[in-house]
Amino acid sequence: MKKALISLVAASALLLASDQFAMSDADRAMYAEMLEANPAEIFVQEGGEKLAKLGGDAALAKFLGKTEETLPAYIAGFPRYIASLGAVVSLEQVLQAMMKSQGLEAYKFASADMTALSAYVKSLANEEKINIDVNADEHIKAAYALGKEVYETKRGARGLACLSCHSSDVIGSILRTQPLPDLGKAVAGGTWPAYRMTKSSLTTLQKRFQGCMNNALLAVIPQGSPEMVALEVYVTNLGKGGEIAIPGLKR
Amino acid sequence: MKKRVQVATATMLFVVLAGCASDGATQTAPAQAATPKAVLFEQPTTAKAIIEKDKLGAPVKYTMPDGCITDDADAIARGGFIFHNLNGKKAKGDAPKGLAKMIEVNGKKVEKQYGNCVACHNIEKAKGGGNIGPDLSNYKAIFIDTGVRDHAFVYQKIADARIDNPNTHMTINLTTKLFTEREICDITSYVVSPK
Ligand code: HEC
Ligand code: HEC
Repeated sequence: MKKALISLVAASALLLASDQFAMSDADRAMYAEMLEANPAEIFVQEGGEKLAKLGGDAALAKFLGKTEETLPAYIAGFPRYIASLGAVVSLEQVLQAMMKSQGLEAYKFASADMTALSAYVKSLANEEKINIDVNADEHIKAAYALGKEVYETKRGARGLACLSCHSSDVIGSILRTQPLPDLGKAVAGGTWPAYRMTKSSLTTLQKRFQGCMNNALLAVIPQGSPEMVALEVYVTNLGKGGEIAIPGLKR
Repeated sequence: MKKRVQVATATMLFVVLAGCASDGATQTAPAQAATPKAVLFEQPTTAKAIIEKDKLGAPVKYTMPDGCITDDADAIARGGFIFHNLNGKKAKGDAPKGLAKMIEVNGKKVEKQYGNCVACHNIEKAKGGGNIGPDLSNYKAIFIDTGVRDHAFVYQKIADARIDNPNTHMTINLTTKLFTEREICDITSYVVSPK
């Protein structure tokens, strides 16, 4: 219940901020309707059932060396370095490792099963503020630096970088009827997985990155790669302090 | 120390397998891969090479070829079509004479990419023109006829905007080989033509 309220607040702020500009009246009516009941809630619920089969919140907390009480704030700090995994990892990778540790076949990173599962797990941190610490250790520091580099590297057939369209001096300008979003203010790191109205599906942050790469003709890099996780670190940090509200609702 | 290395190797092994299944990456497995440990996850190793190959080259200063700017109606129509459209699949109507909508790349028919300049610039008859770049309406009268800009400037801007502005947010169109010299001339001719 509390969860639904939060996404409502976050989503209506988003609507006022920019999306109304890009939406037709019919789209806006649909958006308003979805604010009442985000169609992705059902996937998040399914994700909860999937986690229950793995032992539920308690098993996840244990796997991460946390208690159920400290788990939400811990989840609000991903991606992070986990020594036992030897890498800076996103939630999906933690969940893969957890499944493997139980002798199960892990869901593929980019699968719908994993999207639902990771959306549920991230929703455990709803109302928490993003608390990623990019100076916590040398590993996350390196991931942050790599993420910044990937973000700023111009490439592809049009010679564009993420920064070309998401730097502070162009945010709010219009790209072919779309206002360029401020990834920090939009709390991108705290509002994905989100339901994308234009795709009618629940989409992860890394898949959204791939969408921008595709549109702007940057060669798409695979989800889960160190570079993608680093990009997630960098973008999540832009929205540090912002509130987590899963599932998000996006145009 | 030893343990860390082992975990890393095992991780990479899983990575390699996952990579083959999902994106057909050609990676050779590490020679002495340890038996996979309990905790493993997908971590494809191909991104670095993909990014490296995709990187934009250094800024290039171009000389506008002779006869570049023209009032040939077909050339201007091609420039306009490239300006206003994203690619051959999305573009409505027939492409003007001399401009393809589909091209062959490695034996596969794919849509030709156009400039999508209108995404960032307003200009005469723009539909949903953006405002990331300056309004290019009435460009001839305001910028060319007054001597503020010349044709070579516009050509260079479209070919590789970084020569004029190292921190530009504009697309790079010739250094990336997205377009040919002739196509850059068509686009430039369109921008500086009276409309
Ligand atoms: C050519 C311009 C362009 C480039 C380059 C670009 N983006 Fe975007 N991006 C956009 C636009 C426009 C939107 C909003 C689209 C919409 O509302 O559907 C967007 C939306 C996003 C969002 C969703 C924001 C939200 O509301 O939560 C994320 C995340 C994002 N971009 C990340 C990236 C990353 C990472 C890169 C580089 C790999 C990148 N973008 C490159 C134009 C671009
Ligand atoms: C992603 C955004 C973007 C796209 C796409 C884009 N431009 Fe630009 N353009 C800019 C920006 C920003 C500037 C001004 C700042 C600069 O030059 O860096 C600019 C400047 C220009 C200028 C210089 C105007 C003047 O006299 O100062 C011309 C001409 C121009 N663009 C033409 C084009 C053409 C033609 C295309 C398509 C082939 C195009 N642009 C695509 C963003 C863009």
